Amino acid sequence: MRDKAIVMVLVLVCVVATTWSGIRLEQTGVEQQRGKSLLLLPNGKHLKAASLGQAPLLADLMYLWAIQYYSEYEREDRFRYVKHIFGDVIAELDPNYVDAYWMGALILIVEANDLEAGLELLDQGIAANPENWILPYLAGWECYHADRFDCAEAYFAQAEALPEVPVYVKRTRIGMAAAKGDLRRAYAMWLDVLQDPRADSGTIDIAERQLRHLKVKIDVQEIQGWVAKFQFENERWPGALTELIQSGYTDALPFDPFGRPYDYDPGSGVVAAPRDRILPEGS
Amino acid sequence: MLERHPNALGAIVAIGLNTFREAIRDRVLYLMLVFALIIIGISRLLSLLTVGDEEKIIKDVGLSAISLFGVMTAVFVGVSLVFKEIERRTVYTLLAQPVLRSHFLFGKFIGLFAVLLLNVVLMSAALFALLLFRGEPPWPLLPALLLIAVELAVVTAFALLFSSLTNPVLASVWTFAVYVAGHLSWSLLTLREKVPEGVARWICDGLYWVLPNLKRLDLKAQVVHGLGMPEGYVGLAAVYGLGYGAVIVALACWAFSRKEFN
Amino acid sequence: MASEGPPALAIEGLHKAFVGHLGIGRRPAVEGVDLRVRPGEIFGLLGPNGSGKTTTIKLILGLLTPDAGEIRIFGLPSASREARARLGYLPENPYFYDYLTAREFLDFYARLQGIAKTDRGDLVRRTLERVGLAGRGDAALRSFSKGMTQRLGLAQAIQHEPDLVILDEPMSGLDPLGRREVRDLILGLRQAGKTVFFSSHILQDAEMICDRIAILKAGRMLSVGGLHELVSQRVRWFEVTVRGALPAGVEAHHPAGREDEHLVRVADIEALRDLLDRAREGGAQVVSIWPRRDTLEDLFMQRIGASETPDTTHA
Repeated sequence: MRDKAIVMVLVLVCVVATTWSGIRLEQTGVEQQRGKSLLLLPNGKHLKAASLGQAPLLADLMYLWAIQYYSEYEREDRFRYVKHIFGDVIAELDPNYVDAYWMGALILIVEANDLEAGLELLDQGIAANPENWILPYLAGWECYHADRFDCAEAYFAQAEALPEVPVYVKRTRIGMAAAKGDLRRAYAMWLDVLQDPRADSGTIDIAERQLRHLKVKIDVQEIQGWVAKFQFENERWPGALTELIQSGYTDALPFDPFGRPYDYDPGSGVVAAPRDRILPEGS
Repeated sequence: MLERHPNALGAIVAIGLNTFREAIRDRVLYLMLVFALIIIGISRLLSLLTVGDEEKIIKDVGLSAISLFGVMTAVFVGVSLVFKEIERRTVYTLLAQPVLRSHFLFGKFIGLFAVLLLNVVLMSAALFALLLFRGEPPWPLLPALLLIAVELAVVTAFALLFSSLTNPVLASVWTFAVYVAGHLSWSLLTLREKVPEGVARWICDGLYWVLPNLKRLDLKAQVVHGLGMPEGYVGLAAVYGLGYGAVIVALACWAFSRKEFN
Repeated sequence: MASEGPPALAIEGLHKAFVGHLGIGRRPAVEGVDLRVRPGEIFGLLGPNGSGKTTTIKLILGLLTPDAGEIRIFGLPSASREARARLGYLPENPYFYDYLTAREFLDFYARLQGIAKTDRGDLVRRTLERVGLAGRGDAALRSFSKGMTQRLGLAQAIQHEPDLVILDEPMSGLDPLGRREVRDLILGLRQAGKTVFFSSHILQDAEMICDRIAILKAGRMLSVGGLHELVSQRVRWFEVTVRGALPAGVEAHHPAGREDEHLVRVADIEALRDLLDRAREGGAQVVSIWPRRDTLEDLFMQRIGASETPDTTHA
């Protein structure tokens, strides 16, 4: 009986020790070092060889990990390895993993403001997936947003030339030419993509992002218009956007797609959108 | 009258030694050991394919081989040991002795772990020899190897637990499942954020804390790149692993003491 | 021969049923076994294959837990370490570690019994002699024949001189010489004051050495008691072998081996005397007279439910 009691106490001590050390490790542990662990990502080709035929699965796992990793917006030096992870590792493991290309590209273009790097990634994806229309279509739109209409046109032409491409893609190049700067027209075009019954979830995701992006631009344009009008009529910038309502320039203020109010600097009268995110909060 | 003083420690040591001897003769063990040594040897060739840090490949492959083959040995040899004894009824006469069943199982654990430790030492020696031959100091690898040994203790404990509960095939499958789950703990955190609040989140949290977080025992990346570790990390991780393993061994002892032999 | 004190083994109201896969189906293995083994006696647990003998023994050893009932060894609960310290056990068809030698094997068990290192070497040597494996101490168990394995099994069961020795089918698979040796060993144990409890489906062996027996069928106990109480000593008939011409009016029961020999059955002593007289008168020779008594086999067949007791001649 006494022996049993001793054993129970020992087991209890072990449980406590394990839990305590577990908590300590959670806080201080090597998990904090995950950023540095990126240095250790091997070459995609090596990883593919090591995966013993399970490369697509490994690609999925890497993608999952990458999403979690890149969701931490507070992480310093976030963008250093985006191209490596999405373009080399995941792309090498599964070159047809379309999601990875556009996810990486969007992170680069929208969050890191690096259009060139993003386009490179998309080019890589296009090369590996020549039948896929969404990648060149997206590339085209990103160029369009950056006012690079020449390269946008080139990409749209590329998309249009593909077999079995949806009808609205064909309309894009023409429409875009006419719509240079017309955000509402662009918005309508992406709505077509979203409402296409044949769209897969990846395409829908892209479409939703583009729509959100366009809405923001449209809203900012609209609010900026009211601010300008206010300034013209009152010879000063409004103190806050709410003053626009009070003074009757509009009945209500729009919010961004995430429900946040738009930023406004009363000193310069500039309206801006809160920082754009590719990955949803707490992903 | 014969003088007899059956005592727990003596029994555990005797059983441990016996298990050690038995495990040493298991062919699977030699197969794993030979494979691991071959792989370590091949790593030398692989290093020729890379540009730059050749030793990195050798260290990476070496540590992974030691870890992976260690785990496979722990599972296969551990499960088969218990199975063979029960299947062949060797265990019947042993349980007729004045020894508690839990002491019996604990002795088995000790013996098995000793064999695995020997394996790790041998494979590490081979790896160290290879590195020293190339003029690379292998000592920084020691913390990782220590925690690999701790990881093996945990896996062995699970192997014994499951083989006390079910047949060898299922026991191996379950043990591997726990091993894989232990290395994917981080994904539970991701999942937790995706599921709606409430019971689902509690389940994710619960699983995260209950399952062994084997990533904490994985210092392979750190030692290969010479990255610093927080002070006392190795000690803390060892406490975690050994404590966890001890609890599982206790569970295994309990499961074994309630087992019916028909 | 049987001494005083609590029964070496006392089983009361033992029940055990096995549940099938996924909890479906329930097969009773032991239903209501009660028996008492007195210290110093040889007790035989008999029954056909599948009657629950091995299950009962496993229950005694604690390899299985009973659904109901109590088992005590020298008054101690059977599952306790104290109880197990007083017994030795040989399972049916034992199998031991291939890679050990006989000496290493017995030494291992001696260690588990808590025998001091200084005593072990001597004890192992003596035990090997007791079971007739004296020269085989250093042979690997892998090389042992069935008979040798059985003897080694017995060795580990008796090495620590337990007061109660439990043997499950100790004679199975042995040749006649082996069986004789085991019988002698068991008798020797009783001589030394030990109690032996063994199970068997070979009745002749049991008949030769048991003091008391119990018969199991389908998990139920059909009889229990002293051998000589259960199997009466009275003669049922005499079988007489007569050589030469049969006396008139005497019918041969059936022909014996040789052409001129006949087997005659007579009902009692009177008829026997009559036959002897008449044979002598007729010049025939009486070669042998065998009194057919009840055997354990008769009792067995009767209880187990065979249709008729077949005629048997003296084996």
